[in-house]
Amino acid sequence: MNMSRYLPAVLAVAAVLAAGHAAAGDIDAGRKKAQEVCAACHNMDGISTIADYPKLAGQYPDYLAKALRDYKSGARKNPIMAGMAAGLTQKDIDDVSAYFASLPPVLQSRM
Amino acid sequence: MPPKIAGLLPNRFLQARVRRTAPTLNQPTETMTRLTLLTTLAAAALASVVATQTRAQTAATAGDPQKGSQKVQMCQGCHGILGWRTAYPEVYHVPKIAGQHPAYIIAALKEYRAGQRSHPSMDAITATLSDQDIADLAAYYAQAPLQTAVK
Repeated sequence: MNMSRYLPAVLAVAAVLAAGHAAAGDIDAGRKKAQEVCAACHNMDGISTIADYPKLAGQYPDYLAKALRDYKSGARKNPIMAGMAAGLTQKDIDDVSAYFASLPPVLQSRM
Repeated sequence: MPPKIAGLLPNRFLQARVRRTAPTLNQPTETMTRLTLLTTLAAAALASVVATQTRAQTAATAGDPQKGSQKVQMCQGCHGILGWRTAYPEVYHVPKIAGQHPAYIIAALKEYRAGQRSHPSMDAITATLSDQDIADLAAYYAQAPLQTAVK
């Protein structure tokens, strides 16, 4: 069977999936917002030096956005982050997520 | 007769003015300052007690990365694969956790176990973990990343 005949279809599906999950956030706007809201604990380089606060540099933007949405909705409970996320709009959430995801990664997937 | 003020050094003049014009104001202001100071000291003391307790709890179950490496079978199917996404109930990338602060990983796992945070897979997995398992896994994943599988 010639697999190459399926290649365009596979690529098209991959492109649609990728587009659906691409970070919609604006990195520059996110940098500005992060400076105001996030940097005091997570640092501007996304490498927090306080062990209770997670490192964010290079984390997936859709995971960061999900975490912030859950803090905002109360689905995930943390008194500090509830306060921080309460002041963020959906656009702010996408923007700061895009910003931290764009930083040189310090986290990896690992077996 | 008003006091003579000509020739007084400026600070003497000001002191005299304060004594004459603000004796009643001074007292509550000083009390307020003392109260604020006491409150600040109390808050600082409380914060340090809480911090010490948190550290003591963390230290109580010290993680062993070697033992953690033998407990990762449940983790690596998702967290070991670059680009892996959850499929249910929402689609998003499974977070990268290798290199994360161990204290944060411990907190995250305990939050899932206690129901303060929810994801079907993580709820089920953390229900089977002891504090020692959690500490060991956190110690393992806190180490610098060694290998990555690509989806």
